Amino acid sequence: MTVHNIYIFDRNGNCLFYNEWNRKKQAGISKEEEFKLMYGMLFSIRSFVSKMSPLDMKDGFLSFQTSKYRLHYLETPSGLKLVLNTDLSVNSARETLQHIYSNLYVELVVKNPACSLAPPLDSELFCSRLDAFVRSLAFFSPRAA
Amino acid sequence: MAHEAPFQLLHSELIHYICKTADGADSENGRSVTKLENMGFRVGQGLIERLTKDTARFKDELDVMKFICKDFWTCVFKKQIDNLRTNHQGIYVLQDNKFLLLCHMSAGKQYLEHAPKYLAFTCGLVRGALSNMGVKSIVTAEVSVMPACGDLAALIQ
Repeated sequence: MTVHNIYIFDRNGNCLFYNEWNRKKQAGISKEEEFKLMYGMLFSIRSFVSKMSPLDMKDGFLSFQTSKYRLHYLETPSGLKLVLNTDLSVNSARETLQHIYSNLYVELVVKNPACSLAPPLDSELFCSRLDAFVRSLAFFSPRAA
Repeated sequence: MAHEAPFQLLHSELIHYICKTADGADSENGRSVTKLENMGFRVGQGLIERLTKDTARFKDELDVMKFICKDFWTCVFKKQIDNLRTNHQGIYVLQDNKFLLLCHMSAGKQYLEHAPKYLAFTCGLVRGALSNMGVKSIVTAEVSVMPACGDLAALIQ
């Protein structure tokens, strides 16, 4: 039961924040390329999902899973994209991501006048609160599965 | 004040605007702080008129300071001042351990050098409130660890 890592992208595709907790294997490419890869994938999947949906789409792309991990996605009306990778025991991290957005990001970054909304986010308070919050989640455990 | 978010966001933008239109040497930086303080002064004067229009006259300066610490601070920042100290000779120290305008910024030493700009408006607010109650004063603020901040008010007879 664990959380692997989190990405936060702004509406232009710049990665504002990245943090990892239990990542065993790196991607093998540099961090900038990894962020671009992740953003490109999200963009393509979203448009794919909306085109191929057989019914009227409400929320769109929510998550995908592989045999080892599940990726959860939340997009806010302002275009901010939050991505959380957890293991398979977590069914939906939507409320978690919503809480991270409204109680941590909006309170500590948007309302922080000294923090510009451009990469990298350098508010230490945001980093430490987010870290503490994720570690306190019910499905987080320091010993990875 | 119904919700503190509009005031906070407006306040941040105000500071950003004043400092941007100043841009230049350090003397300009001092001038921006003065401009912010004067704005706060005028706002404080008006606000205290509204708040005290139905209350009785105050007995002495200490009562005025207590009013500022309780009702005035509650109206603007939704909480009371945590600590008020005085030396009974005209100096009062107001301490707020979780100052609203700073608590979103950091919880330690980061951004400490930007803190004076964010306190200037509030200093002016207190000075304006005191001046309309008949108390001439100088108000300065000091921050050592965010988000706690101590306002120091020196009264001149």
